[in-house]
Amino acid sequence: MGNKQTVFTHEQLEAYQDCTFFTRKEIMRLFYRYKDLAPQLVPLDYTSYPDVKVPYELIGSMPELKDNPFRQRIAQVFSEDGDGHMTLDNFLDMFSVMSEMAPRDLKAYYAFKIYDFNNDDYICVWDLEQTVTKLTRGELSAEEVSLVCEKVLDEADGDHDGRLSLEDFQNMILRAPDFLR
Amino acid sequence: MLRAALPLLGLPLAGAGATEEPTQEPGSPGEPPPGLALFRWQWHEVEAPYLVALWILVASLAKIVFHLSRKVTSLVPESCLLILLGLVLGGIVLAVAKKAEYQLEPGTFFLFLLPPIVLDSGYFMPSRLFFDNLGAILTYAVVGTLWNAFTTGAALWGLQQAGLVAPRVQAGLLDFLLFGSLISAVDPVAVLAVFEEVHVNETLFIIVFGESLLNDAVTVVLYKVCNSFVEMGSANVQATDYLKGVASLFVVSLGGAAVGLVFAFLLALTTRFTKRVRIIEPLLVFLLAYAAYLTAEMASLSAILAVTMCGLGCKKYVEANISHKSRTAVKYTMKTLASCAETIIFMLLGISAVDSSKWAWDSGLVLGTLFFILFFRALGVVLQTWVLNQFRLVPLDKIDQVVMSYGGLRGAVAFALVILLDRTKIPAKDYFVATTIVVVFFTVIVQGLTIKPLVKWLKVKRSEHHKPTLNQELHEHTFDHILAAVEDVVGHHGYHYWRDRWEQFDKKYLSQLLMRRSAYRIRDQIWDVYYRLNIRDAISFVDQGGHVLSSTGLTLPSMPSRNSVAETSVTNLLRESGSGACLDLQVIDTVRSGRDREDAVMHHLLCGGLYKPRYRYKASCSRHFISEDAQERQDKEVFQQNMKRRLESFKSTKHNICFTKSKPRPRKASRKKKDGMANMEATNGKPPRDLGFQDTAAVILTVESEEEEDSDSSETEKEDDEGIIFVARATSEVLQEGKVSGSLEVCPSPRIIPPSPTCAEKELPWKSGQGDLAVYVSSETTKIVPVDMQTGWNQSISSLESLASPPCTQAPAMTRLPPRSLVTEEPQAPLNLPSDLRPSFAFPPSLAKAGRSHSESSADIPQQQELQPLMGHEDHTHLSPGTANSHWCIQFNRGGRL
Repeated sequence: MGNKQTVFTHEQLEAYQDCTFFTRKEIMRLFYRYKDLAPQLVPLDYTSYPDVKVPYELIGSMPELKDNPFRQRIAQVFSEDGDGHMTLDNFLDMFSVMSEMAPRDLKAYYAFKIYDFNNDDYICVWDLEQTVTKLTRGELSAEEVSLVCEKVLDEADGDHDGRLSLEDFQNMILRAPDFLR
Repeated sequence: MLRAALPLLGLPLAGAGATEEPTQEPGSPGEPPPGLALFRWQWHEVEAPYLVALWILVASLAKIVFHLSRKVTSLVPESCLLILLGLVLGGIVLAVAKKAEYQLEPGTFFLFLLPPIVLDSGYFMPSRLFFDNLGAILTYAVVGTLWNAFTTGAALWGLQQAGLVAPRVQAGLLDFLLFGSLISAVDPVAVLAVFEEVHVNETLFIIVFGESLLNDAVTVVLYKVCNSFVEMGSANVQATDYLKGVASLFVVSLGGAAVGLVFAFLLALTTRFTKRVRIIEPLLVFLLAYAAYLTAEMASLSAILAVTMCGLGCKKYVEANISHKSRTAVKYTMKTLASCAETIIFMLLGISAVDSSKWAWDSGLVLGTLFFILFFRALGVVLQTWVLNQFRLVPLDKIDQVVMSYGGLRGAVAFALVILLDRTKIPAKDYFVATTIVVVFFTVIVQGLTIKPLVKWLKVKRSEHHKPTLNQELHEHTFDHILAAVEDVVGHHGYHYWRDRWEQFDKKYLSQLLMRRSAYRIRDQIWDVYYRLNIRDAISFVDQGGHVLSSTGLTLPSMPSRNSVAETSVTNLLRESGSGACLDLQVIDTVRSGRDREDAVMHHLLCGGLYKPRYRYKASCSRHFISEDAQERQDKEVFQQNMKRRLESFKSTKHNICFTKSKPRPRKASRKKKDGMANMEATNGKPPRDLGFQDTAAVILTVESEEEEDSDSSETEKEDDEGIIFVARATSEVLQEGKVSGSLEVCPSPRIIPPSPTCAEKELPWKSGQGDLAVYVSSETTKIVPVDMQTGWNQSISSLESLASPPCTQAPAMTRLPPRSLVTEEPQAPLNLPSDLRPSFAFPPSLAKAGRSHSESSADIPQQQELQPLMGHEDHTHLSPGTANSHWCIQFNRGGRL
């Protein structure tokens, strides 16, 4: 309890609670987790809103993440400037969105962003190919990947413009009842 | 196994045997003394198995009868009907034999009837759904069952204390708790029987059903603990005994699960090495699963849990290891056994209820129990759901809760357990039996009857058979990764974290260990889904075709049977390969894709897929070894046999005309029919062909090469034959014109001059060479060829493409096809560039016409024909799928869309 006071002001905590789906306790836990990522970088006092970023190298080098094909993309999407370096706010944001409490639409939105590798607000063939390649860990040949992508586009592309808009994506997700449970 | 069953089922039946066949028995042994008997009646030697078989037969017949009327079965669940039938049969037996016979024996039930059902449900359990909801399932199964048992038992005891239960029911608190423990468990058999027909959404189903499966451990423990407490007497029960009871809960459940997993591991490992003895693969599955059950039972662990876990655990690896045929065999045998067992259980339940000597009625107890189990079930569900909803992303709403409480059906497990009670220790056993019977009947009949209307009325979200899309698969995987990453970063070891870990472990070690190398390679899931989807579309297409066929009323006597043979074999083939590496339950479903493009692609492929060169045909009729090496072989043979048959009939009919082949796109079927009809009547020559082209917009394949080969056939015939137009149309109509229209399978109609033998003879002997056969079969054959011949079937990719989507199979087919048709047709332009050909395929109308005219003119240029086969062959063999793939694929699709 003592720690909490020194790390955040009461208002800060309130704000975090409002902005995320977390309780105060969880926020503190996340903070310490965040701090553990880079103990020398992150100060224990956040009352003055220090401008601290944990570089992506540190996040990406976590042993748990080393098998995860999307680690970089996730960090990029949630970091403010898209370079994968995360502030505490980004950090909290990420977990809030991905927590079980977050509604499906919000998740879908961020999932969409994660897919959208080139940040053009559409999932195009190239994005899909990236995804598939990452998912299959390079086990499929280029042709196979392109076939799969084509099929995916074909399935979900409501307006036949050859790419998936956010609406297409959300539509598709709505149709899959078990998805994003 | 059956032998062992005899004493269980047979003994009680022994008496009835005499009643059933009383007349023969006395007569037979008496008459012919020692000498050589011409005829001997040995009823007693076959009695037991005979009766078992008879009962199964009766049950199956009953099932058939029930399903004769769709109306009845749509209103009344089968289980109700079976119970009622059992009651009637029991009444008859009682009336005839003057004593109740053929009861549901606990031993039979637990050792023989229950395992198949549980295995079936465990094996086909949608594992992902199950584990996604594991928390809820476990809560309901453990907490819910405990809650139900204790509250029901205590409340009944309270009822007795209040004097509402007649004093002749001599039972203490422990007795009531024992009763509560056996009556409180939701029964998997009953739940499955009823919910299968209700079709609630998957989540709801898996929760109720998963609960019914997993609560077995709790039930067993509670039952045993209470039973031993009762036997010890409540005074002697020590505190440590309670602790032991709690501990035994873990031992029984975890032990059962562990036994199941061990056997699952063994099973998976064994199937890895069955490559040369495919024939015993299905047997292994059943044997080891049954061994798991018996082992758990032997160690008095939860046998149901063991089998469930065994099925759940082994499926992935077993499915990957065993052959397609074995997979089908496993599936059907399992379903058959389960449905058989289920039928017998319900019927015997009904019969057992008739035996009034076993039970004693007490209204207070019966009504009280009924009320309490319903009430506490509902209360328990509401309470637990409230807690669970705090953690669930998609909460279970009120309607779900209603269905869950109402779906808490009791069944044969409770009955078997209550029968097992020791009357000397529990004086109120008879009352308990009566109450259990009433409860089981009430839940199965009343609730089973009403749950369907209730679900409708409440507008419970039904299960939609949505097509499992590639998107879903893709995004699900992505999201799993994302969530796992998030959990990793946050250091929170939650569900996704563990699943991710598990998947990595599985990939790195388990799959390597338990799967064949070849199977392992194929198992990339995304590709898998893609593959499956394509297969599925193909199947749906074939099914559609088959449907259209039959609906057009094939009047040829020989047609239906042959047709069905052909269709089923094709369909099965596709199905089998489709179910290939798939984990979910819906494999069998054929979902039609609404996409024109896919349909068109499918159309092309399947049209092509129906003919096949004969030179490869070799009948393999070894009964003991299904296939020498692998699926390719089987597939090839199936196809080739088909092809051969078809070819022959094809030839036979060729004399008569251009026959039509209905491989329509479903939507256009009717229209095409009409058109085709019109065409036919107009002329037999060109006009219909052209029309056909326009109509189908699909592949129209020219078979010029054939007639050309048939140099002996007359000019007119040639003309007719020249273009075979595949148009969907009613075959009967065509027949009226004295022509044979073939669809999947064309065979000679009786009215037709029997040309087939002559034709075949003509051609076969002197054209036995491979080349001409290929020609013979025309472009169509070439298309299908890839499926079988492709050397790289093991490259899963190729197979996929060949069956379902354009690329690699297509490529050879395409390349060959065009040369054939066009080269023959236009000698002046023998070199066909793919680009030229493509449109011909894709845009049949325009080019088709052109090609047609050409073909007419150049129909009899032999040299070209001779070339074609070679070309086709070369293409086929040498063309590497990879190169042409993308190119063709794209073109194809574009064309199809248009």
